[in-house]
Amino acid sequence: MGDIISFAYQYADSFALLALSSIGLVIIFGMMGVINMAHGEFMMIGAFGASFGFQWGLPLSLAIVTGVFAATAIGLLLERLVIRKLYGRLLYSLVATWGISLVLSQGALVLIGPSVPSLPNPFGTVSVGGMNFSVYRLFLVALAIALIVTLWALMRFTNFGLHARATMTEPDMAEALGVRTTRIYMVTFGLGAALAGFAGAIFGLSAQIQPTFGAAYTPIAFIVVVVAGSRNIIAGLLASALVLALVKTSFTVGFNILTGYVAMLVTALIIIRLSPTGILDLIGKLKALASQHRSSTAGTSAEETKNA
Amino acid sequence: MRELLNGRIEPGKGPVFWIVGALLVIGMLFLPGLVGRYTLLNFNSFLLMVFLATGLALLWGFCGVLSLGQSAFFGIGGYAYGIVAINLADSPWASLAGVAGGIVAAVVFAALLGWLTFYGHLRGVYVSIVTLVVTLVIESFLNQTAGPQWKIGTAHLGGNNGLGRFSGAAENIPSLTIPTGGGNSLVISGSSPTFYYVLIGLIVFTYLLLRALVNSRFGVALAAVREDPDRAETLGYDIRLLQSMTFCIGAALAAMSGLLYVAWGNFITPSVFGVTANVLPVIWVAVAGRKSLAAAILGAVVLQWGAQQLAISGGEWALIVQGALLVLVVLLLPEGLLSLRQQYSRMRDVRSSSLKSQSRQG
Amino acid sequence: MLLSVEKLFKKFGGVVACDNVDWSIGSGETQCIIGPNGAGKSTFFQLLTGRHAADHGRIIFKGGDISRLPPFARANRGIAMKPQTLGVFPELTVEHNMRLTLQRHMSGAALRDAIEARLADLDLAHTLNRQARELSHGQRQWLGLGMAIGSNPDLLLLDEPTAGMSTAETQRTVDLIHRIGATGTAVLVVEHDMAFVRQLAVPTTVFHQGRIFASGTLSDIETNLDVQRLYLGKQGVAKLRN
Repeated sequence: MGDIISFAYQYADSFALLALSSIGLVIIFGMMGVINMAHGEFMMIGAFGASFGFQWGLPLSLAIVTGVFAATAIGLLLERLVIRKLYGRLLYSLVATWGISLVLSQGALVLIGPSVPSLPNPFGTVSVGGMNFSVYRLFLVALAIALIVTLWALMRFTNFGLHARATMTEPDMAEALGVRTTRIYMVTFGLGAALAGFAGAIFGLSAQIQPTFGAAYTPIAFIVVVVAGSRNIIAGLLASALVLALVKTSFTVGFNILTGYVAMLVTALIIIRLSPTGILDLIGKLKALASQHRSSTAGTSAEETKNA
Repeated sequence: MRELLNGRIEPGKGPVFWIVGALLVIGMLFLPGLVGRYTLLNFNSFLLMVFLATGLALLWGFCGVLSLGQSAFFGIGGYAYGIVAINLADSPWASLAGVAGGIVAAVVFAALLGWLTFYGHLRGVYVSIVTLVVTLVIESFLNQTAGPQWKIGTAHLGGNNGLGRFSGAAENIPSLTIPTGGGNSLVISGSSPTFYYVLIGLIVFTYLLLRALVNSRFGVALAAVREDPDRAETLGYDIRLLQSMTFCIGAALAAMSGLLYVAWGNFITPSVFGVTANVLPVIWVAVAGRKSLAAAILGAVVLQWGAQQLAISGGEWALIVQGALLVLVVLLLPEGLLSLRQQYSRMRDVRSSSLKSQSRQG
Repeated sequence: MLLSVEKLFKKFGGVVACDNVDWSIGSGETQCIIGPNGAGKSTFFQLLTGRHAADHGRIIFKGGDISRLPPFARANRGIAMKPQTLGVFPELTVEHNMRLTLQRHMSGAALRDAIEARLADLDLAHTLNRQARELSHGQRQWLGLGMAIGSNPDLLLLDEPTAGMSTAETQRTVDLIHRIGATGTAVLVVEHDMAFVRQLAVPTTVFHQGRIFASGTLSDIETNLDVQRLYLGKQGVAKLRN
């Protein structure tokens, strides 16, 4: 029993880490097809902003908001100056954001220095049935779920969501219907940057805040995003994070952290080898296969009865 | 042969191009006599990166595949060279076996990765991301290999200290060594003029070979795969095979740079797999012009030299300048500096043809 | 039969785009497939080229089942195609475009001569070193057609070959298709423009909702009331009668 609870706790923790570190990247990729190589730097900016806000005497929650604002502002600025000029040219936008990433991380190092003061972690631990759980970790899980639900509601119920979905599937058609697609793209990029900044500020509560801060999260964010695909952003993100976290946790518990990490990568490679458009299509294929199998066995048994 | 060298795909042809090129190479041969040993050591480190750059240009500029995993093959080539050479340290053939081992290891790994990506019908940014992620995972894996249990034969992987004398291990990675018969061998250290001449020879040879390759029917097919893979396939071209083959050639070239790097400095650390190591070749190739092998060669050497000059005077600003340069080039000159030359010649054509029509009218 | 299709079936999501279709074409024969937009004729075309794999059913070409082969392998067995999107490589020179088709079958001086001869045939000899995107729309159509027949295929698949063409160019295309047919190459034209199909005047199959709705000679199809209804709507048919 204790093992099961401990596994569930670790699983939820992995899920939260994967979902939070990739959510901003997934939004931008899913909506615009752009791989934002500066994603990790947006996370870094969020953490730096939060640290500065806290040093200015803001309460922790407002300090985190400061971090989100900083990341959003820089995201919007870059969208106007660079990303907008490269719509539809995905490899170019990838390369350009990589250059931006280099400028941002190295710029932070030169202008601000190798590290800034850490943020305090207000969460303690709770003890349930003789086991200790970090409240911070549980908070991350709740936050990941809350963000995914909010995004889903945003896409499902708001005007922005409707326009965004239209822009994503049929950009020309949406434009013809009066949707200002450049506006949608700008808001999307800003939203992606904001979410990255938010995740960065939250992770900053427990990690050292350095210019290379984002580097710890970008590889896993990239893995989640290729597995998630771009067909349905939220369902893809959810399925991708749930499956990869399961693999990671299982192998971490069974062997060690490194094995868990490598196993997660190998799983991701297998998934995209089987279904290059992402995990949702793989699930769809498996379902189709199962129903085909069922109907074919049903068919043969019907024929057998007829023959008999 | 003449047709292959003078070419259809790789830019640059005619007597002027070849004479300038030959003069440049001949001029380079005098360099070791003019500079000190330290400068030569430096220059050798720039030159050995040329293979990495041409491999990336071949993949990205000619085949349309932006691999962000070229430093994975660089690193695999380097590590394999080190591991093989350390294990055979007593043999005069150690380093040459290391060269073979490095290239074979990288090509085998590239074939596997090609099967995963191209045969999995991955395209565009997906290929880029998968190659990048694989590279970063190798880096984190090697960083964990500090313990004494992590060794292959007599070579300790050494965690983030890497392979070679800096890892604190007793074994050293041998320099390039060529057995000259009778139990003697020629040891080519990274700061020696011989190393420099070997590099120049290899670069000229590789350039001519790749030039013939991209100007051949294979190169025309690659251009079609780059422009429109679906259409290329309906004309009978096996695009997955073509992409995988090019990927393997690119990997062999990156491994060549990696093993020369290890032979040059006698050490390698996991940081060669890192993000910074990965972005630099992309900058050289993008800035100079990815659709030309010659531009990639010049770009690699000139930009490395420039970055080092910057680093000497401006410290940490060097990477910022390079990052900004990459962004500017993508925005203003998507085909790199090379396209300036093409724009110039197009302008000249337009002017001369309009002059002609004017004179006809007159 | 050169190519025959048996019970070919393809579903996208919940939509059946090709519903147990049986169809065939003989050597040297020219046929047409028509149908309104969304009738499944494009899917059928792409199942033949290999762009999509059928869920089940067979495609027999020259006696072998090719339904599991990727597009390039089908091309190498003798099926050429020209997509609706012209099928030329705009950034490559005209010479390279032609070379791409021909270099698979010859080399050296023979290749160079063949490229020049084919381009001269298409009235494109003077454009040899120009980029294909500098050509006019009509010239690009011709180049695309020239590339498709460059490999002397047994079967040529054409997807809406006259889209965006002028009347004169359309007539030239009709003549060219007949000329290709006369050389022994079987030709399948997929088209939605009834006027063009009338000009072509070859055996025609009508697709509707992923199925074969009617087939026969052009006059059979034209006099078929159901087809008229499909194309013109009920009022249209009534008007025609009056």
